[in-house]
Amino acid sequence: MRPLALLREVAASARAQRVPTALVAVLVAAMCLTAILTVGRAAAAQRQVQHRLEDAGSRQIEVTDQKEKGFLTPATVGAAATMDTVERAVGVTLPRDTTNVAVGAGGTPVPYWQVVGSLRDVAVLTSGRWPNLGEAVASDRALAQLGLDEPAGAVSAGPNTAAVAVVGTFRARAPFDTLDAGLVGPAAPGTPAHALDVVVRAAPDAELTQAAVLALLARPDPTDVTVRSPRTLAEVQADVLGDLARYDRALLLAVLATGAALVAAVTLGDVLLRRRDLGRRRALGATRGVLTTLVVARAALGGLVGAALGCPCGVALAARVGGAPGAGFVVGTGLLAVLSAAVAAVGPAVVAARQDPVRVLRTP
Amino acid sequence: MATAELAVRNLRFAYRAGGDELFGGLDHTFAPGAVTAVTGPSGRGKSTLLYVLGLLLRPSDGAVLLGGSRIDDRPDVERSALRAGRIGFVFQDAVLDPTRTVLDGVLEPALYGGARRRDVIPRASALLDRLGVGARAGHRPGEVSGGQAQRVAIARALVADPPVVLADEPTGNLDRDNAAGVLDALRTAAAEERTVVVATHDPFVLARADQVLAL
Repeated sequence: MRPLALLREVAASARAQRVPTALVAVLVAAMCLTAILTVGRAAAAQRQVQHRLEDAGSRQIEVTDQKEKGFLTPATVGAAATMDTVERAVGVTLPRDTTNVAVGAGGTPVPYWQVVGSLRDVAVLTSGRWPNLGEAVASDRALAQLGLDEPAGAVSAGPNTAAVAVVGTFRARAPFDTLDAGLVGPAAPGTPAHALDVVVRAAPDAELTQAAVLALLARPDPTDVTVRSPRTLAEVQADVLGDLARYDRALLLAVLATGAALVAAVTLGDVLLRRRDLGRRRALGATRGVLTTLVVARAALGGLVGAALGCPCGVALAARVGGAPGAGFVVGTGLLAVLSAAVAAVGPAVVAARQDPVRVLRTP
Repeated sequence: MATAELAVRNLRFAYRAGGDELFGGLDHTFAPGAVTAVTGPSGRGKSTLLYVLGLLLRPSDGAVLLGGSRIDDRPDVERSALRAGRIGFVFQDAVLDPTRTVLDGVLEPALYGGARRRDVIPRASALLDRLGVGARAGHRPGEVSGGQAQRVAIARALVADPPVVLADEPTGNLDRDNAAGVLDALRTAAAEERTVVVATHDPFVLARADQVLAL
């Protein structure tokens, strides 16, 4: 039989046998709907968890010069920043309490950090300009505590220290949110940092990067250095995501298997009811392959109709309850559901192809 | 259509291994150009012989030959191809597909045989016209009478232009006028050098057959 003729036959047969075709379509639509509303939402939740686990905070390695020996030099910071696995690396001095010069020592103290490296790696300028040496930018909160209406003025760490001009405002970039409590400015050339903060590109790179940074420091006394690392967090992340992925797969398999079992039952029932039709086809020259293809393709056709209805409905419902999965998941689910229906129909199709036409064609 | 002689040699058949055998080593050649009636008491295997000749059942022993070549031992795909292209079937109660039109039903064997629909429609229409049911081509089987349905079944059996036509009690459910119409159609098919074998116990058919094979 020619492929085109077979396709025509599949379509004609699906139209003629409306009830089983519609039942398969309804079952596949229900499979898609259920998968999108359960697995899809779980997948969306998984993405949210992943997003949270992968934000900058969980990719930060902080190396502290515990004994203030000055080994976190600008050169060390620069070397760390050039590593392939590193997104950003900056050094930060210990903060000094500063007050508004106009108010004097009685003013509210505000912390002031000096940054070794690029200020752009820790802050986003929101007004004014980037500070030069001896200048600083203040967060909105710091500005309010200093009693400044605008980023214009100066702060000082004491009567015998040089004033630092405030030339703008900033917002801290994650994961440097603690800087939002005060002011930041560039460190003088050659100033060593108290802490080196390294943000790696991906959490799984943390372990490798930490080792590389420590190798870069090459401290003979390990007590010189304190390391705060997301390595354990990365391991937890891998475990959590693995658990979620396994749960999603199991749930999807359960939905597909249940739907496929019902499709198989419907198709088998249809095959048994249509024995005479199938026997006639065999007697008139249809091969077993043609009959098998006919039954499987008809289930797949019903499945396609069901997926075309079920997927958009599932997405619409999931969106209403706030967890619509991505297009890739929806298309994949639809295809898997159609494939499941087709595979489920293989057994009944083989039964159809193996039936003895003589038994059903003989008239007593 | 190439004429092909249909023959059986030492043919035996049992529905179950070790069960009662039918035909008892039958040797017979069905002549092309003639209507051969297979008759006998009920249970002697008239219809079974037709199904064996039509490759729907495999004989327990012996052979079915078409044009001198053994065909009963062929693989299923080849047997199906022979049924679609070289052996036309007419069943007792027509067995038309109720979900498609008469014309589409007639096309069925030719399509299974690999013909293109557009190529075979003219022949199917001509056959329906010749058998007096051309006006019913667009109707569903439920909208035609029993006699018309059987003539449609004969058109279906002839659509692939097979050298052999097998008819199982084709007049069993018909009145005399309709039975005569169906027999005329089968005789016309035989006159075109086809081998026509009819299983029947109807004296009306037996009286009009060219040969009778009693089982």
